[in-house]
Amino acid sequence: MPSKEHKKAIDQGKDLFKEKMKISYKGPVDERILTVFGDYISSIDESYRNQGKKLFKIFFELAENLSSYSSEKVWLDSKNKSVGVGALILKENDSDFMLIAGNPVFDENIIPVIEKCEYINSLDRESLRKYKREERRRTPSARGNAHIGLIQIALTSANPLDIEITQVAENISYLSIAVKIDK
Amino acid sequence: MEDIVIKGSHKDYFIPSVNFNSQTGICELGGESFLEDTVEFYNPIISWLTEFTENVKKPLAFIIKLTYFNTSTSRCILDILNVLKDYEEAGGEVVINWHYDENDIDMEEDIEDYMIDTGLDINLIAFSNGTE
Repeated sequence: MPSKEHKKAIDQGKDLFKEKMKISYKGPVDERILTVFGDYISSIDESYRNQGKKLFKIFFELAENLSSYSSEKVWLDSKNKSVGVGALILKENDSDFMLIAGNPVFDENIIPVIEKCEYINSLDRESLRKYKREERRRTPSARGNAHIGLIQIALTSANPLDIEITQVAENISYLSIAVKIDK
Repeated sequence: MEDIVIKGSHKDYFIPSVNFNSQTGICELGGESFLEDTVEFYNPIISWLTEFTENVKKPLAFIIKLTYFNTSTSRCILDILNVLKDYEEAGGEVVINWHYDENDIDMEEDIEDYMIDTGLDINLIAFSNGTE
């Protein structure tokens, strides 16, 4: 007989398969994880090839965002650097795929993300493209990041960004961004 | 002027293939671009192009066959295209061909956005899946 804890884990595992869960992960998000998940996403289903490309692009942007801004970091000796810890979920529904990235974040970093998401969601596609061009031009390349990841995610998904914030500790909230890709 | 030849790879990071030839003026950038340090990778490429346009001054054909690039890379591509635009405005001969999957509407929009951003004419060359 499995222990109570083991039984619970078995049930959770079975649920993941029932829900057509493609990826359910919590842990450090470094490039090796991204590459494995990215290759898996690319090969999900040949009949959804275009959606697969979109999922691949969005997944990398969400994961890079998560790794950079997570308040929880872990030191990886093999890479001699710290990386952010977060949760990544990819689920297939009847009419869409859903990608969800979540991570704890210091409250001081939350407001700019909320404001940016709200602004992005208020724009139509042409305005969003214009906003991306402006932001890309504005950001010096020496910073190595155009800070246009969220804009690109919204453009690629062609759906609004669904953002949720939950206070989890003093000065720390859990930030979750869900993105839908229509089939 | 030395050529740049970088073999692309798809391992922990995605390194694009680079083949810049100063004799022929044909410069090709392809594959996927997701790098540990995007600026460190692209700075020598931008410097090479700047040197070519200032000293070699031959006709330049820039061929892009990127199938994926992240947003960090997208800014570096803008820097490359700005060098080419400056060359064209100074009287240099520049042709830019951007190959993309005919089903990749997002990539097509990206290329159009670069044209709006830089004022460059970019030849969009769509290919069917598996033909390139």
